[in-house]
Amino acid sequence: MRAFSVSDVVFLIMAARWTLLLSAFGFIGGGVLGLLIALMRISHSAVPRWIAIFYIRLFQGTPLLLQLFVVFFGADMLGFGLGAYLSALLGLSLNAGAFLGEIWRGSIQAVPKGQWEAAEALGLPAYPRLLRVIFPQALRIALPPTVGFLVNLVKSTSLAAIIGFVELTRAGQLLNNATFRPFTIFGSVALIYFILCWPLSLASQRLEARLARAYQR
Amino acid sequence: MRPFKLFVAAILIMGAVLHIRPAAAQTVDEIISRGSINIGVLVDLPPYGILNAQQEPDGYDIEVAKLLGKYMGVKVNLVQLTSPNRIPFLVTNKVDMIVATFGITPERAKQVLFSIPYSAIENVVFAPKSAHIEKIEDLKGKRVGVPRGTVQDVILTQTLGSDVKMSRFDDDPSTYQALLTGQVDAIAETGLTGDTFFAANPSGNIERKFMLLRQPNGITLRKDQWNLHQWVNTFIYFVKNNGELSVIHQKWFHQDLPNLPVF
Repeated sequence: MRAFSVSDVVFLIMAARWTLLLSAFGFIGGGVLGLLIALMRISHSAVPRWIAIFYIRLFQGTPLLLQLFVVFFGADMLGFGLGAYLSALLGLSLNAGAFLGEIWRGSIQAVPKGQWEAAEALGLPAYPRLLRVIFPQALRIALPPTVGFLVNLVKSTSLAAIIGFVELTRAGQLLNNATFRPFTIFGSVALIYFILCWPLSLASQRLEARLARAYQR
Repeated sequence: MRPFKLFVAAILIMGAVLHIRPAAAQTVDEIISRGSINIGVLVDLPPYGILNAQQEPDGYDIEVAKLLGKYMGVKVNLVQLTSPNRIPFLVTNKVDMIVATFGITPERAKQVLFSIPYSAIENVVFAPKSAHIEKIEDLKGKRVGVPRGTVQDVILTQTLGSDVKMSRFDDDPSTYQALLTGQVDAIAETGLTGDTFFAANPSGNIERKFMLLRQPNGITLRKDQWNLHQWVNTFIYFVKNNGELSVIHQKWFHQDLPNLPVF
């Protein structure tokens, strides 16, 4: 047992960099996948729609911890090691993709049908119709649930400890095992998570207000 | 069936093409020619493995791992593991061996290969001074805290069955804290760590009640690493005899190396 010192606080802050990096991994990878899934989900042909539904059911229906475990250790069993970075990127992206895909699919479908019909009546082809009429309106609807998911994702990255990352929560556990000061340590950990997540919520509120301005006529 | 077969074929081909698994060292020669050894350790089990004030791995197991590397003449890469991912890291070749206070049991030996013991852990039941607990039967009807999946967890569950209310915690500090805050009536924990913890928290009025068992630990290898296994046994035998292991034991446990049985 040793005392809790300033270097331990520095250790926690350094570990928070992993939390940030893993969140960025998950959000960027998940964003790309999610957009693809959302588009497949609203497709007119059945095959992409089924694939997307299967994918969403699979990744929403199993725990993220197991997905990371299967990607990291399972790839090795099949004969190709992915390494911790690629496994975390893949695991978090696949998981985030399923959730973001559903959030964005819902937001796109929440845009009133009249908007689709009006755009079509103006003679806009399929892509401009989606990009210039539907997406800007869907963005406004998608913003709060997307930020909500992102805040959750920041906290879910603690699960990457199973594949060897010493991120914020794991760092807290390690320090607690050396110093036996749970309230000080986990209090600090909670505070750092809050400092990471709060600006996200604030930024979301401001962006929401800005996007809403167009509708306050 | 055709798409499924194609899918399986694709995975197998990918496996063959992307053959980039970590170099799995099976023998002493392979490790020496590579010049480094990957050893899995725990850093959340004081005083066997902790992070020191410089946030580096330290402790009894870590010093043993470094000594092993010194005798083999190679660089030691310490890989920090957690209790639940120790065996997956080993069997998927991500580490060459584990020095992680792994208790030797026939059940575990079905999956991995144990060296002769290099340390022992004392499992002690702690409870408040006022509680009348002298033997395992006295725990009947009590709430007993243990770290999840440990040897003491298995012993208490098998001996007392449904007569005891087990509370299983994720790690040692949570287990100690639970006794201090009165969430459980007793805990089964590592003797020396408990002594230090309860001495630092005298308000709890907690003392040692009885020793549950002394569990010898082995360095852990994959089942097919016979060549390396023989070398590791020889290493442990040698440093036990020349007193080096006892010096490390004195440093972390303030007592001589106990008499460790061999097999």
